[in-house]
Amino acid sequence: MTSLVLQARDVAIHYGGVKAVDGVDLTLEQGQIRGLIGPNGAGKSTVIDAITGRRKLTRGSIALQGEDVTTLGVERRRRRGLSRSFQRTSIFGQMPVRKQVVLASQQMAMAGAAQDADEILSELDLLALADTLAADLGYGQQRRLDLALALVGRPVVLLLDEPMAGLSVQESRDLANHLQALTERRGVSVLLVEHDMDVVFGISDAVTVFELGRVIASGTPAEVRSDARVRKAYLGSAA
Amino acid sequence: MLTINVFNGLVYGALLIVMCSGLALIYGLRRVVNFAHGSLYMLGAYLGYSIATYSSFWVALVAAPALMALLGICLDRFGFRLLQDRDPLTVVLVTFGLLMIIEDAVQTIWGKDNLSVPPPALLNASVDLFGTPVPAYRVGVMAIGLLVALGLTLWMRFSRAGLFVRAASTDPATTAMQGVNTDALSATVVGVGTALAGLAGVVAAPFLALSPSMSSDVLIDSFVVVVIGGLGSLSGAFVTALVLGLVQSVGAVYLPSASAILPFILMIAVLLWKPAGLAGSRT
Amino acid sequence: MTTSLSRIALSALIALLAGGAFVAFVGSATVVSLLTQAIIYAVFALGVGLLLRQNGLVSFGHAAFFGSAGYSVAVLLETQAVPAEAAIVLTLLGVTAVSFLLGLVFVRVPGIAFGMLTLAVGQMLFLTASRSRGLTGGADGMNINWPNTLFGVSTSALTEPHAMFALCWAALVLTMVALALLLRGRFGAITEAVRDNEERARFIGIRTLLPRAAVFALSGGVTALAGVLAALNTGFVSPENLHWSVSGVALMMVVVGGQGALWGPPLGAVVYFVLKDVLGGYADHWMAIFGAALIATIVFSPRGLVGALQRLVRRRAATPAVLPATPRGAVHH
Repeated sequence: MTSLVLQARDVAIHYGGVKAVDGVDLTLEQGQIRGLIGPNGAGKSTVIDAITGRRKLTRGSIALQGEDVTTLGVERRRRRGLSRSFQRTSIFGQMPVRKQVVLASQQMAMAGAAQDADEILSELDLLALADTLAADLGYGQQRRLDLALALVGRPVVLLLDEPMAGLSVQESRDLANHLQALTERRGVSVLLVEHDMDVVFGISDAVTVFELGRVIASGTPAEVRSDARVRKAYLGSAA
Repeated sequence: MLTINVFNGLVYGALLIVMCSGLALIYGLRRVVNFAHGSLYMLGAYLGYSIATYSSFWVALVAAPALMALLGICLDRFGFRLLQDRDPLTVVLVTFGLLMIIEDAVQTIWGKDNLSVPPPALLNASVDLFGTPVPAYRVGVMAIGLLVALGLTLWMRFSRAGLFVRAASTDPATTAMQGVNTDALSATVVGVGTALAGLAGVVAAPFLALSPSMSSDVLIDSFVVVVIGGLGSLSGAFVTALVLGLVQSVGAVYLPSASAILPFILMIAVLLWKPAGLAGSRT
Repeated sequence: MTTSLSRIALSALIALLAGGAFVAFVGSATVVSLLTQAIIYAVFALGVGLLLRQNGLVSFGHAAFFGSAGYSVAVLLETQAVPAEAAIVLTLLGVTAVSFLLGLVFVRVPGIAFGMLTLAVGQMLFLTASRSRGLTGGADGMNINWPNTLFGVSTSALTEPHAMFALCWAALVLTMVALALLLRGRFGAITEAVRDNEERARFIGIRTLLPRAAVFALSGGVTALAGVLAALNTGFVSPENLHWSVSGVALMMVVVGGQGALWGPPLGAVVYFVLKDVLGGYADHWMAIFGAALIATIVFSPRGLVGALQRLVRRRAATPAVLPATPRGAVHH
């Protein structure tokens, strides 16, 4: 049985009378790509916020490679290898591309930060833009930069929050291929929140379905696709 | 002795009420901390002096704030509105530049000497307060403070404009979408705000000397009041203004060093504990 | 674009030589004295500008560091607690240390709240100094009793206008070199990242508090240096050195000069003094002129004089070339 790199147990986030997430169990196995789907407002982004430490838990615990990280801040979780990308692109606009990716890699206290950065930049087709200011990049290039910042430093777990947002069909497909290749080659485990069903079912090893802050189904893509509750709530019979 | 100090404290507090409401209104609507507010106060005072010299104090009491209101409308139209998409700190620095221009203008027109304005004949007498004689003029100042506080509260509570101001202070974008003419509203509010600063100046002139440095001290006190009182809250400003006046006046006699510093300590504490009131969105 | 080490060294050398030449050829003590004041304020503005550039924070209270450095030196000398040389070093280290501790708390306060906070702290110090009679002389200020020799040099020789200018100029240039070296390294990259996008900085693993507190400390230390230089130059310190208007003026110098480059704030300081003292018949209206210059800068050239000059250079560089231009990323400071 492959080890669990990430385990979220009974995670709940309540605020101001809203139960954004209510008793969620989530696991991620070594090298696995797990898709997270569900309607808007179902709580998917909030779960990512919880796992990365951006949001405090009302209840529950998060464990990374078997170690409890529930009380750790965002920076320390990242240094332990828990990395994320952002739905709304979050990069350093006034800094050149390569400089910020190298900076991100340097934070991980491992040898060869610059090489690591260059490898990621090369794999995401950003090396040619190394000296360009991030603010001067096109939208798709900025999305890839956002991803690059999350991928450097050999993270253990990668949480991707709608990486395809705003991309064209072709760009989405390219990015999906990049992602699959990268994660296989580097052994990263991925939690992928995405609306694009083709992408999710195409590259995920497992899928979890959210609705109203709870998990309503979990399993292989095929299992989830044929789950009656999921079809009713989300996919519709067209899936 | 104590009576006089308490009384003087309340008088200064009343003056601060008039000053700070203007500051609070401008901040509430435009999210601008108006560093020029003190110099507007000074300008109002000097304008009042000139108008009073040519006609009477009572005319100055009305005319000077009216002129300041016009200045405020221009300030809003050609200043705040044009810069509204910029970082709020940028606008603050602009008001700082404005402060320098106004101070220079005042010094140029009226010179650097201290000037004095005699209180109007009607109020140039003594009134008996619990056995202590106090200048009637100062009682008048308290009355003005009270009127302003009352007037603003009623305006905010019961008028359509007041409702829109409160709404726009909380969420300018949505209010604009509701069809409320935020530009006209903004001009009105800023105009009222600067008029109040001018009014404070005219009112202050007979009992505080007119000097080129009058703007700085009052400005700092106003900031203290508005921060501690809570930037969105007019009633908070009213109460804090009176308390500050009392602390300074009574404290100056009994605990001079502490009373001067205490307000700042409180202001610092408020800013450390809840900077959100000043730092941007009020959710 | 990271400035190369050789470029920094070369610029520093040229600047020092230029300063030396200036001192050698300009005889008028008045002119030299005036410019010395400008240079001291340039160091002050450098400190304020550093905070703005690296942390994105606007301080209305930096006069607190300027004035308290002066008072610290004055008190230490008055009580003869330590030799003068030690007093200077202790003051610089002490103010830097205190500003680091304050920074740990203050840099967490965002936006205009930070400005108001620094304003309050500065004014509090001003009032304390104004009211404390006794050793510090209250509102009248206190004289500073410099000893006859300082670091082995005769004090009167040191405070002679030309020597004083040379000293202050050297201090400015060397401080700028030190800052440039510090900021081109990882420290500079980290603080720029935090200023640019604090949240993402945390998400790539940067602990954001310490670097920002360190910048605050550096900025306080540089401003304290200006305070020590002023103490040497005038031999006097008063509560006026702590007033918020002094902080405000320094801030204006930073904005007009432009915070985009390290030499921006010093440039703003020189412009301020030129406007203040050299503008012939209109000298009386320097306040209005500077206020207007500030507003004009903010509205038309937010990056200040530095920005305007950089645009000018870029426009010249972009004249049509014979060969097709190689594609490159956008040029920035």
